[in-house]
Amino acid sequence: MVDRRRFSHTALTLGLAWIALLLLMLASLGSSYLNLGPWNAVSGLVIATLKAAIVAWLFMRLRESGPLIRLVAIAGLGLWSIQIGLSSVDYATRAVTPAAIQSPQQLPPLQAASRPH
Amino acid sequence: MSSAALTEPKDEPDIGKLGMWVFLASEVLFFGGLFLAYLYGRTHWPQGWSTASRHTDVVLGTVNTALLLTSSAVVALAVACEEDATQRRWTARLLALTAALGTAFLVVKGFEWHAEWDEHLVPGPSFALDVPGAQEFFVLYFVMTGLHGVHMIAGIAVLAVLARGRSRRREWAGARQIEVAALYWHFVDIVWIFLYPLLYLVQRHG
Amino acid sequence: MTSYLDDGLTIRSWLTTTDHKRIAILYAIAITAFFFIGGAAATIIRMELATPAGDLVSHDAYNKLFTAHGVIMVWLFLIPSIPSVLGNFLLPLMLGAKDLAFPRLNLLSWYLYLAGGLVTLEALLLGGVDTGWTFYTPYSTMFSNTYVVLTLVGVFITGFSSILTGLNFIVTLHTLRPPAMGWFKLPLFAWGMYATSLILVLATPVLAITTLLLIAERLFQIGIFDPAYGGDPLLFQHLFWFYSHPAVYVMILPAMGVVSEIIPCFARRPVYGYRSMAYAILTIASVGFLVWGHHMFVSGQSLAASMTFSLLSFIVAIPSAIKVFNWTATLYKGSIRFDAPMLYALGFVGLFTIGGLTGLFLASLALDVHLTDTYFVIAHFHYIMVGGAVMAYFAGLHFWWPKATGRMYSEVWARIAAVLVFVGFNLTFFPQFILGVEGMPRRYHAYPPQFQVLNLLSSAGAGVLAVGYLLPLVYFAWSMRHGASAGPNPFGAKGLEWQTRSPPPTGNFDHPPVVPDIVYDYAPDEPAPAPEPAP
Repeated sequence: MVDRRRFSHTALTLGLAWIALLLLMLASLGSSYLNLGPWNAVSGLVIATLKAAIVAWLFMRLRESGPLIRLVAIAGLGLWSIQIGLSSVDYATRAVTPAAIQSPQQLPPLQAASRPH
Repeated sequence: MSSAALTEPKDEPDIGKLGMWVFLASEVLFFGGLFLAYLYGRTHWPQGWSTASRHTDVVLGTVNTALLLTSSAVVALAVACEEDATQRRWTARLLALTAALGTAFLVVKGFEWHAEWDEHLVPGPSFALDVPGAQEFFVLYFVMTGLHGVHMIAGIAVLAVLARGRSRRREWAGARQIEVAALYWHFVDIVWIFLYPLLYLVQRHG
Repeated sequence: MTSYLDDGLTIRSWLTTTDHKRIAILYAIAITAFFFIGGAAATIIRMELATPAGDLVSHDAYNKLFTAHGVIMVWLFLIPSIPSVLGNFLLPLMLGAKDLAFPRLNLLSWYLYLAGGLVTLEALLLGGVDTGWTFYTPYSTMFSNTYVVLTLVGVFITGFSSILTGLNFIVTLHTLRPPAMGWFKLPLFAWGMYATSLILVLATPVLAITTLLLIAERLFQIGIFDPAYGGDPLLFQHLFWFYSHPAVYVMILPAMGVVSEIIPCFARRPVYGYRSMAYAILTIASVGFLVWGHHMFVSGQSLAASMTFSLLSFIVAIPSAIKVFNWTATLYKGSIRFDAPMLYALGFVGLFTIGGLTGLFLASLALDVHLTDTYFVIAHFHYIMVGGAVMAYFAGLHFWWPKATGRMYSEVWARIAAVLVFVGFNLTFFPQFILGVEGMPRRYHAYPPQFQVLNLLSSAGAGVLAVGYLLPLVYFAWSMRHGASAGPNPFGAKGLEWQTRSPPPTGNFDHPPVVPDIVYDYAPDEPAPAPEPAP
């Protein structure tokens, strides 16, 4: 029957997605124990994004949703990335002048403030 | 010329789903501010962040991630079952299983927090790690996992109520309501998907 | 025939209602109370500032007063005012619908608002908070000895009221429009509500998380906002203003929507440039999310970020200017009547323009260095929020009062009040522009004697303004008992809400309303209803 096939198809998709999610989780865990320098953070986030995409696309059914629902999802994500992005413009370009009361800086500042003359 | 207005809602099933998606968009911005704070901390206190992250329990964190991912798959299956006439008898049990997996997650979290309390990893006067930024990491750790936990409790309660309602064939526990609750559950899962690498996997190789 | 007002006469029926019209009235009562509490704080402030010496209240008490004024007026009055009162009442009516998409959620919104408001009030009664409504760190987290956490809890709870209202409106506008009413047949008030709701849903959660982080930092006494620990006070400001700037668009977009309903009606002309008005509303809401750093020009933010935010702030003024041009153009060759709603609406256009233009001065980096944290800023935002949003709120109250109550208020007294508000407002706030340019800083309870004359003028104006605000309480109350009976459409207005009785039945319409082909189908030669007879 069509219904039965549809259900089996759906259940199979969900099962495969579940396995993919667990494998990705293990990949994330494993890669964190390799010394990849700055790429550790990148790989962690990329894998997390893939997992989130699987959940959103297949489990939350964005695949079958209309343009309105997809727009709602994009609006939330888009605005959040604007918050991070535009705030980062400040952090990326701000000259840092540590004060005497502050604990020793752990990072050389991207831009040290020029000393007053 | 002009046409008579319809006073009835247009498309009943879409109202709840749209409402939940709009709510989830607001939740993205809710958790989003925490990620900005996290980004600040990680870039300004890299040693503090990695030292602190290595003191989280990666085994329990991974177990929890597996539990939550599985629960998402289970609730998605529950939704699929509810939409199929021959599989509908499984829905209530799958919803209950999802709630149980969520509860297991919270129990594990409880053990984790208890251990962290014992190891003096709760920010305060007797904090154990002396690296600058480590306390700030744990402030965010407790706020982020705590907030996530509050969302989990709400989700578990809703799923448990729906499971019970569905098993008694209540009309308020139908396919629409279950799908809407599942959407919320998946979102809470997605938040954890990002918390996992950000909290547990910083510089593990160090 | 029974109306929604007769449908249940017990207090219980009101407190458990899911009727959007009753919920609107519940909101109206609550926000009126908060308006006068916030106004009382302002009265004491202006009394203190009438003389240069800080002799009426101590500096600590003064700090608590302006904080209370800001917190109450922003979160407990302005943000909910037009959306939760007029929006709740009118949106389903304008769509020919029976109620909003989620009526019970609407009632929950009101209870959340009330709970948050009461918690905030409690914090005030216990002793108040002195950080300013902006709660800047590290003062608010590490040094202030006042009820910071309790106030923030109140604000947090109120925020969820906003989010749920916005959610309700968005879903309502997407799903409950009649088939004949496409997006570009919506009244501009509905567009204003839609854009406002987008901001409510997306920006308010950031306030929620920011208050939680503040509370955490204050409780743990260890922080990401405190430079002593290597933290960044600007991180707080980025988070805070990411919400609080779009919040001002929450306050003005509904006001613009109200004005767009009133001006066409009392000029008997369709609004000029309907589509550009709608697009301008959406543009204001979207670009409004990109400008928050203009509150941080002198905070230590990087120059590159400041320049970016300055440029974006200039851009966001453009759609507002378009709207002002279009309202003015709507008047051209119209048949204008100066009824009370129109007086308030025209006042809005003039005062909002002044407020908006002065915003451009503040958006210029070089000027802002001089003007920031002075009375220029205070005058700027009061021109927009009070001369703009509050006037539009009053315009809307007067325009739709007959619809909501079935009674006409006294037109003579309403016009007197409108003029008093306009004169009093300008007398209060225009001198503050000059004071700001001359260098008087904000949030100080004492000032050098050379500023006294302008301060005295300002305080005198506040007295006139107060009378103007108190008058409506009297004549609106009077109208409930003795006002002439209003028909369904006393002003000859277009819009579906005018096709039902005044006051409407609980289900809104006895017969389904008819959606016109043209949205603002006014014509100057079309006879408007006879002016209201004198009381």
